[in-house]
Amino acid sequence: MTRDTSPFRYLLVQALDLARAQLLLFVVVSAGLAGVIWKIFGDDVGRAFDAADMVGALLAGTLLIAILMAAGGVAGTDIKQGYYRALFSKPMAPWWFYLQRWLLGGLVVLTIPVWLGLAFAVAFGKGTGLSAEVFGVVALSYLLIGGAVLLFSTLTSRDWLVAFLLYFLQARLHDAEQIFTAMSRDVPAAVAFALKVLPPFDLVSARAPLPSGGDLAHVLLYGAGMVAAALLLLRFRPLGSGGRA
Amino acid sequence: MIRFAQAGKTYRSLVRRREITALAGLDLEIARGEVVGIAGPNGAGKSTLISLLLGFLAPSEGSVTLEGLAPRRYVERHGVGYLTELVNLPGQWRVQDALHRLAILAGVPAAARRGRVADTMARLGIEEHATKKIKQLSKGNLQRVGLGQALLGEFDLVVLDEPTHGLDPVWTARFRDIVVELRRPDRAILIASHNLDELEMLADRVAILDHGRLQRVVGHATEASDASVSWRLVLEGDDDIGAAMPGAVPIAGRPGSWRVLAPRAAMSRQLAALLQSGAVLVECVPEQGRLASAFREAVRQ
Repeated sequence: MTRDTSPFRYLLVQALDLARAQLLLFVVVSAGLAGVIWKIFGDDVGRAFDAADMVGALLAGTLLIAILMAAGGVAGTDIKQGYYRALFSKPMAPWWFYLQRWLLGGLVVLTIPVWLGLAFAVAFGKGTGLSAEVFGVVALSYLLIGGAVLLFSTLTSRDWLVAFLLYFLQARLHDAEQIFTAMSRDVPAAVAFALKVLPPFDLVSARAPLPSGGDLAHVLLYGAGMVAAALLLLRFRPLGSGGRA
Repeated sequence: MIRFAQAGKTYRSLVRRREITALAGLDLEIARGEVVGIAGPNGAGKSTLISLLLGFLAPSEGSVTLEGLAPRRYVERHGVGYLTELVNLPGQWRVQDALHRLAILAGVPAAARRGRVADTMARLGIEEHATKKIKQLSKGNLQRVGLGQALLGEFDLVVLDEPTHGLDPVWTARFRDIVVELRRPDRAILIASHNLDELEMLADRVAILDHGRLQRVVGHATEASDASVSWRLVLEGDDDIGAAMPGAVPIAGRPGSWRVLAPRAAMSRQLAALLQSGAVLVECVPEQGRLASAFREAVRQ
């Protein structure tokens, strides 16, 4: 038998899975949010805010959940439930399989501003509010949060929960750092150290400009590092390790 | 094709540093064209052996190679037809969809995929369940889906872990036909099973594991030692079989039936003498298969 050896042969299946679940949900939620705001506030919102503000505000409130939904529970579930045995007895490398799935998840998350923008354009007629900066924020957020989810998914099926707790912890530590700084007091060494080693989630926000310079490099390197670590674990750590044989 | 060289696996708990040796010092080679059985009591190391073979676990000692390659490298390059002991597939997948997805992963070309899935479902009698969700399947039907996905790719190595688990007698027999059909000079087939009759019928050799160690390999050439096979004899017309055949024990409640544990040659001589003296042979059958005898010897039960 001639074999289909294309490394992309399963990509369409993964894309359709994401389209049927996460993408559809994001479209419905985006339209729903615009509809609810329009129903409650009518044209007042349209007059008071421009589309970019609205899209930014809604992204700030929904992006974390959207990323956890798009990236979470993939490798971790397959490993915990034992699905990996059927999947990876076939000629397919786990690291490549999950990298494709992770990248597709990122593409789906990148469409969220589009759905929000379109929904608001239809509801308020003030444009989509889309800009390169919005997509940049979404992409960097996915790299950091989605990268953390991918890394934890090699170790637990509760990857999204661990990533969420890490995000929450880092945010509170960042708040504490700002309070100490505002009070002109030294930031405790433990807090400063934790903020150094934790992912720099605070550097990317839909309510703030895109990071640049050293901050941008920090975000990119940290995110790419987590993704690379996840792929190395998937490549070299046997999937049945840790009592999952 | 497959080579286990002093391969072993020890599980270590992180907290209490406890060690459990699941497999130790395994030396075993399997060539293309062979059907090899793996037998052993629960916890003997059969599943660990298979996980090592597929690269789902790394050996703690020794090495495992397939065609000279590390297991994961081989599997990712060539694929293996693998039926797991407990068939695990996402419950929300429908049968046809599951097979279609796994056919894609197996590398079945797009043009042949639909036909291959349909043929597999027909071969395993699961067409009527094609649109059912995996979680709705009975144990036997789930097992057939698991077997089906293992056969999709026409791989050179097929590994079947407890393949008839949950199958009814009709499908157990059908499974045996399927294994016979799977035999190819360039394909190795490994079957782990508790069902010794099944292994005796299908396998060229059977490796018997116990307590993580290979106890013996039973093949057609090296069967269970002759004296370990117990025979059931039913004779008419001679009441003194016990005297004529030392070691013969009457079977309670069955007049004329005797259990004899003796080497074949000795038993044949004694039986011939009895027949010459007028006894009529009604039945002479081994009470358990040669593999079962070898298994009992190997695991000392």
